[in-house]
Amino acid sequence: MTKQRINIILMMVMIILLISGCKDENTETPDFSSEIRDSVVVVMGVTSEPEAGFDPAYGWGAGEHVHEPLIQSTLTVTGKDLSIGYDLATSMEVSDDGLNWVVKVRDDVSFTDGEKLTAEDVAFTYNTLKSTSSVNDFTMLDRAEAADGTTVVFHMNRPYSIWPYTMATVGIVPEHSYGPNYGENPVGSGRYVLKQWDRGQQVILEANSNYYGEAPNIKKVTILFMEEDGALAAIRAGQADLAYTAAPYANMNIPGYELLSFQTVDNRGFNLPAIPSGSVSADGVPVGNDFTCDVKVRRAINMGINREEMIENVLNGYGSPAYSVCDKMPWYEPSSKAEYNQSGANALLDEAGWLKGADGIREKDGKRAELLLLYPASDSVRQALAADTVNQLKKLGIDGQIQGVGWDTAYDSAQSNPLVWGWGAHTPMEFYNIYHTMKDTGLAAYSPYANVRVDRYMDEALAEKDMGKSNELWRKAQWDGETGITHEGDIPWVWLVNIDHLYWSREDLNVAEQKIHPHGHGWSIVNNVDQWGWE
Amino acid sequence: MKQWNSRKTMYCFFVLSIIFLAVVTVIGYFSYDKAMVVDFSRKNLPPSFSYPFGTDWMGRDMFARTMTGISMSIMLGVLAAAVSSVIAFSLGIIGASMGKAADGFVSGLIDLVMGIPHILLLVLISFALGKGFKGVVTGIAITHWTSLARLIRGEVLQLKESQYIKIAEKLGHGKLKTAVKHMTPHLLPQVLVGFVLLFPHAILHEAGITFLGFGLPPEQPAVGIILSEGMKYLTMGSWWLALFPGLLLTIVVVLFHLVGDILGRLIDPGRIHQ
Repeated sequence: MTKQRINIILMMVMIILLISGCKDENTETPDFSSEIRDSVVVVMGVTSEPEAGFDPAYGWGAGEHVHEPLIQSTLTVTGKDLSIGYDLATSMEVSDDGLNWVVKVRDDVSFTDGEKLTAEDVAFTYNTLKSTSSVNDFTMLDRAEAADGTTVVFHMNRPYSIWPYTMATVGIVPEHSYGPNYGENPVGSGRYVLKQWDRGQQVILEANSNYYGEAPNIKKVTILFMEEDGALAAIRAGQADLAYTAAPYANMNIPGYELLSFQTVDNRGFNLPAIPSGSVSADGVPVGNDFTCDVKVRRAINMGINREEMIENVLNGYGSPAYSVCDKMPWYEPSSKAEYNQSGANALLDEAGWLKGADGIREKDGKRAELLLLYPASDSVRQALAADTVNQLKKLGIDGQIQGVGWDTAYDSAQSNPLVWGWGAHTPMEFYNIYHTMKDTGLAAYSPYANVRVDRYMDEALAEKDMGKSNELWRKAQWDGETGITHEGDIPWVWLVNIDHLYWSREDLNVAEQKIHPHGHGWSIVNNVDQWGWE
Repeated sequence: MKQWNSRKTMYCFFVLSIIFLAVVTVIGYFSYDKAMVVDFSRKNLPPSFSYPFGTDWMGRDMFARTMTGISMSIMLGVLAAAVSSVIAFSLGIIGASMGKAADGFVSGLIDLVMGIPHILLLVLISFALGKGFKGVVTGIAITHWTSLARLIRGEVLQLKESQYIKIAEKLGHGKLKTAVKHMTPHLLPQVLVGFVLLFPHAILHEAGITFLGFGLPPEQPAVGIILSEGMKYLTMGSWWLALFPGLLLTIVVVLFHLVGDILGRLIDPGRIHQ
């Protein structure tokens, strides 16, 4: 008995020693403040790591999540107000029929391997992207051609007035060293050079000493890829200067750090199939929804949603109401805004013939007002938005259910049921992709909808030479006074919120002025990392 | 009056465990609607009298959610364990009594299924069936029979050598009749204990597969989903989101194991006097 006790006591002592030993090691957190202040450590989500490397053909900068490619230069850039400026280009002209773009390129630019960047490289880049890119739409481009060392001519298949927005995302690659391994060993002419890439962990960028523009303030950028809770832990341990975070974590107080919140056009909304059910697509996918095919129902849903309350509930206040896919963009139509009006929504539903039954749920011709709202299963914010939408719809007498789906089935399911989407890009093309009909089906791609007038305005906008006038036409496509896709129009999509992008940042780090962030809580923050500074 | 002995303690424990599990199942079954309610006015509440397990970031009652999740696991476990036992029993008997070819086939099948890591096979089956409830149930039901099948096969091989089976054969009974009439009564206790001991496995694997995201969609109250969601909020200090569901899952699994163990001892004639 006594022997056993002694054993137990010895064991306890050992455990205590072990624990205290660990503690001693942990207190030595690395001290980053003593370094020379021209480097930053940034934490992004694990999905921000470019799987195929830093190759523009495989989505670097120009894929689903658009950002400046940093390692490569682009012909144009988008400014803080989303106007077009020049990077490599010195001038651009479009022919009257909109089918030829002539772009002059600077002749004082070299790639980081010493070779000169010429118009041939530009033409090569665009032709390569057209033939190989799986993430970008280049069907409007016929071919790019170098007229001389500094002039590129883009021959288009159809007029495409927003071509400068495409040029702002395509990083120029060198013809002489582009190959299958380019993604891992990118050579560009941009502000930064890829120094090191440890897959699944970090990317280290160093300033390009031969950069033709203003020399970057920040000489070294280390980007770590972590999950949300890991990012928070890194900030708490003082191991990063800036880290992305999400609304649930935002009410914490971390000494030495402040919470940065950036307005975005990173919107969330859901589609409402605008045709009755019964038909199937060429692949046998059911199309249409009998409840949402009534425009009055769609309007009632749009005005019955209290977006402010939703932002408070789901995003802890870090968001702004969304009324279109392109809020705050130069091509946004202000009349898209719909005021919250619950009684108006109820009246509309009554008018549409959906009357409240005994259980408070509306009915029409023996059918209950039911809505299955889908959301991507991997996204907890969209789940919460869907759940809050269903709660709010219940007040209108609509019986909503939510269901998480994987992206393998989501696109098909969205043809007949609403799905919570996230969009938001620095080009009107996204608006086109969502609302314009496709040739083969006569319906829009992501949710069945068609309006000839809306289509026509968009086609005209693409054909219009003058950027200002084309924005005018994009606005008309939304609402021309009689028809469109806004609340007074057909409202085939209901937009809920724009999610603020949140970051923890060291108090003495200055991240300069940010452009409105697009969809994708990742690389957008470092678009202007060269202008950051330490106070 | 007879003397109180440890056998009686076991009986009491057995009954209490069964009652506890039944109560959890019933409470969970009837709180499904409550578990699905999202109410943002009560989000992130720590455990209190009205919400014993607290609430999560969407204001869902974690007590209702956990109970429903556990009860779903238990019911799913019953279904999966029953199917598994039936498969194991039939394959075990077929393998041992229908000749060499059948035995080779069954042994090969057992080795094949056992050779693939359990969770991997589960994920594959569930994914192929489009996830959801159907995928999880089918996946668990058709992966858990192997060890029990092997046990029964061994038992039948042993029985085949015993005198009364040999006599039955000599009297002209067919193989199937011998198996059903003379072997089954002898095998039932094994199957019964095996059935109960399959529960903890089935429940843990259900939790595992939903934790990995290959099971039910995340709005459903399954234990694995609750745990994987709770993990994300541990850094924020919401310890109750993972602790209580995890604890309850552990208790249920341990209880099932004990029930199976006790049952085995109670019906084992060799231990009648312990």
